[in-house]
Amino acid sequence: MSGSTIKGEFLCVVCPNGCILEAEYEEKGEGGRELIFFAGNRCARGEKWVRQEIEDPMRTISSSILVRGGDFPLASVRTTAPIPLTKVRDVMDEIRKAALDAPLYIGQVVLVNPAGAETNIIVTRGVAALRHR
Amino acid sequence: MGAPEVIERGLAVIGGGPAGLAAAIAAKEAGADVVLIERDRILGGILNQCIHDGFGLHRFGEALSGPEYAGRFIDRQRELGIPVMRNTIVLKLSRDRRLLTSQAGRLTEIRAGAVVLATGCRERPRGALSIPGHRPSGVYTAGAAQSFVNMENIMPGKRVCILGSGDIGLIMARRMTLEGAKVEAVFEIMPWSGGLPRNIRQCLSDYGIPLFLSTTIVGVSGMGRLEGVTAARVDERGQPVKGTERFFPCDTLLLSVGLIPENELAREAGIALDPLTGGALADENCMTDAEGIFSCGNALHVHDLADMASEEAERAGRCAAAYVSGGPLSPGGPSVEIRPGLNVRYVVPGRVSLPGASRGRDGVALAFRVTAPRREAVVRITGGDVTVREERYPRLHPAEMVWTRLRGEDLGGLEKRVRALEVNVL
Amino acid sequence: MEGAELDYDVLIIGAGVVGCAAARELARHEKTGTGMKLKIGVLEKEPDVGFGTSSRNSAVIHSGINYAPGVLRAYLCVRGNMMMDKLCAELKVPIKRIGKLTVALTKTDLPGLYRQKDQGEANGVPGMELMDNAEMRAIQPGIEGILGLWTPTSAIISSYGLTIGLAENAHANGVDFHLNCAAESIKSPPARGGSFEVRCSGGRTYRSRLAINAAGLRCGEVSAMAGAGSFNIWACRGEYYVLDKRLNGSLKTLIYPVPGPGDPGLGIHLTPTVDGNILIGPSAVYIPDEDREDCRTTSGVAAALRREGLRFLPGLAASDFIRSFAGNRPKRTPPEKGGNADFVVEESSVPGFINLVGIESPGLTSAPAIAEMIRDIVKKHIPISERSGFAAERPGFAGTFSELPLARRADLIVTEPEYGEIICRCEQITKREIRQAIENPLGARTLSSIKYRARAQMGRCQGGFCGPRIVRMMRDEYGFEPEEFFLRGKSRMFSGRVRDAGLGEHPGNRDEGGWV
Repeated sequence: MSGSTIKGEFLCVVCPNGCILEAEYEEKGEGGRELIFFAGNRCARGEKWVRQEIEDPMRTISSSILVRGGDFPLASVRTTAPIPLTKVRDVMDEIRKAALDAPLYIGQVVLVNPAGAETNIIVTRGVAALRHR
Repeated sequence: MGAPEVIERGLAVIGGGPAGLAAAIAAKEAGADVVLIERDRILGGILNQCIHDGFGLHRFGEALSGPEYAGRFIDRQRELGIPVMRNTIVLKLSRDRRLLTSQAGRLTEIRAGAVVLATGCRERPRGALSIPGHRPSGVYTAGAAQSFVNMENIMPGKRVCILGSGDIGLIMARRMTLEGAKVEAVFEIMPWSGGLPRNIRQCLSDYGIPLFLSTTIVGVSGMGRLEGVTAARVDERGQPVKGTERFFPCDTLLLSVGLIPENELAREAGIALDPLTGGALADENCMTDAEGIFSCGNALHVHDLADMASEEAERAGRCAAAYVSGGPLSPGGPSVEIRPGLNVRYVVPGRVSLPGASRGRDGVALAFRVTAPRREAVVRITGGDVTVREERYPRLHPAEMVWTRLRGEDLGGLEKRVRALEVNVL
Repeated sequence: MEGAELDYDVLIIGAGVVGCAAARELARHEKTGTGMKLKIGVLEKEPDVGFGTSSRNSAVIHSGINYAPGVLRAYLCVRGNMMMDKLCAELKVPIKRIGKLTVALTKTDLPGLYRQKDQGEANGVPGMELMDNAEMRAIQPGIEGILGLWTPTSAIISSYGLTIGLAENAHANGVDFHLNCAAESIKSPPARGGSFEVRCSGGRTYRSRLAINAAGLRCGEVSAMAGAGSFNIWACRGEYYVLDKRLNGSLKTLIYPVPGPGDPGLGIHLTPTVDGNILIGPSAVYIPDEDREDCRTTSGVAAALRREGLRFLPGLAASDFIRSFAGNRPKRTPPEKGGNADFVVEESSVPGFINLVGIESPGLTSAPAIAEMIRDIVKKHIPISERSGFAAERPGFAGTFSELPLARRADLIVTEPEYGEIICRCEQITKREIRQAIENPLGARTLSSIKYRARAQMGRCQGGFCGPRIVRMMRDEYGFEPEEFFLRGKSRMFSGRVRDAGLGEHPGNRDEGGWV
């Protein structure tokens, strides 16, 4: 069951100061964690960051989607909002399954709430249509 | 027949990546007649394959991917109607600012009033590392692998080791993992990582990829495809320690072991280079020792943020435009050399004119890198016995360039006989 | 042309420089009185010609001073050297007669130096001169040494270029090349006048009147297969460093130390290449416990080569060492003996089976002369004479497009626009040259095949820039799938596509605990 306490050092990545935060957290089972102690941050952003990083780390994903009939075989894409780290593989599965037809434009939304995540997937490099393919 | 066509231009910018685009735009905005020369079929340079985000935080206040960041500049280039020669490579540059360019069906000589070198950098290949062993397939520089994966839809391999913890290597560790490869390990010869802390966390820790510090690869095995690498710990001098070898089976080795400013054109033109940066020796206007030839971005020194390369390039572009229009580029007068002092690997620019530093309230931007990580560091810029500027930083790291400024008031107390300033980190 | 029924007059096993030179020389001939060309086949186990020792050496055309008078090597080297200018002009292979200085540093070197001169005179090496230090310095500024032997016929060449040129020209004159085709067994004819049956990897069998063993490091096995006697071949590895072109011009000539009598090689030295790089090497280390074709580099030798390089060129930076490689010499002398034994070029105890054994240095120089010897042995079995239809000239120009004069380039670009598109930035290799390399007549399609033909991927970035561009071109314009790219033999470049149409599930490492 839950209850194990883990100590760790976290290098804050919010700003170039790079504060080293000492943190202690509890494993709550089913991947849940709770921050119970921290020290070493110079500002409130550090506290917010370490809490998020321990309790519910959020990540953006950049990847590629297959393009049919484009001047490049892939369109680069990214999430418009950070998603929980635990959702990354599900969102990647959606990205992997998708296929798009050229032309594509920067900023074009190609997936909405993939795998139920609160983000969209947008194209980040335009792909022109290739006539003879 | 038998001779290239000759055209004349105010300013030729070589390279259409983050630096070249920014330089061309700044110069055009300053009224120069600019042509931008790009060897690839699309503008954006290396940004096109850097599909991860984190670009533009300084400049646009958002986390953009590389192509999007480039897209912002390309939109502006189109608005301004800056002509671009795509699929065009500069074969030769001479000190009198003549460029021989080559493209499909045509050689062209461009006679330019000024030139901006924004040719970026290249990756250090395996040969420069002298990793012994076989020469199997499956050994790629991280950037080449990135190009295969992100641009060409080609997967280099399935079981990966990475040598060097530079940012491209870390980014590729995550990318390969997300694409189904197993990244076995990242090896770093230094006792600290060469990448940004954010990338260590988000590219390695998130996926349980081990980072071995003070470790290098001492053998590559495989007569056909790569079969594995032998890693060993290194001592304080970077020499492998006998008995610490360990074999890691893998079919792919990515090298992320440093970037070298691309300066073959400059070298052939006889432009002086700085052995510490690999870039041209330039002054605060980004001008090299060849009149009217400027250098910026990763060609001048390897940046860690595209935003900073763009900012530097804008300065180069503005100065080049001023040079072309015959305006006072630099007030002239005495100048000082800027040298790396204690615990500093290099400083850019290598020379600053004193009146130049006094101009405007911002003075002159100095960029430097420390030789080793430091906490609670004091940066002290000295001229002879005089400290002209002192700043405190909670944390300095070799992977992160430090930007500071030298202002007119800093130099007030400097004696006339002082010819050089030193940047020290204590 | 496929199948088991192919018959050749001459089947050559091994497409190194000697095998290819023999193929071309024989292709010059027809069967006397019949008007029929000799039917010639070449078997090569690698996916291209010249992948072995032929391309892994100093690429020096030797003068012939190193060999005792009367030995075969002495004759072949001097004869081959004489033939090389015409051959290279016909095949469009770069060669530069930069000469060589063999340098005595101290008095103790003098007897060796005089011996070299005496040997050279006896062997008929033209133009030799003894030079004092001042005379040597007029050729190579700053050179040390008390006395030097100048041999103006020493030259540098493109070693892989020569092998490829010979092979492609032989092919143009009707020789069949079977790449990726290793001889696995040889059935010798029961009686004189019968035919050899050579069974190859992939199940193909070729029958031929005569067979030539040009298998280099594997010549012992091939001879044994035919029952033509077994030879012991010891591989002696030579490692090299390739230096950046930045240093081009700093070496005006070849500079060698005076070799000692037991030395297995000619000593570590600096060699300029026709492409403008400098080689440091070769070492000479026997590898009795390794595969004879294991061309690995080792940390100990690499360090020694770097030291050696710095001694001659103190301004060398780490980034000047752009590549290292190794090549193995097929030696007839065991490690405990060292030195060199003479070449064997002879018809074996099995009539019609011609053995070439221990062709190490100066094999590259000797190749065209060995080919003449082979021709003369063939003549004993099949009456042949030179034919009129032989096309000795290979089309095109020697070297790369970027080395042509500007005016010629400007003209050529107009008629062939792809000469204007640079694919390899470091070596300034054009799309047209890459295309010609991809479309080479032998059908060799590895990335190394393109490298050796076009020089792309050979520069200071070692293919970091042009590699992806060449791959893209081969995929988009020639239909290559990711799995079809090879660096050399058995060295697949890629595992597949990142995204595949219709691929739903992706075998990731999600079940192996790598994920959070």
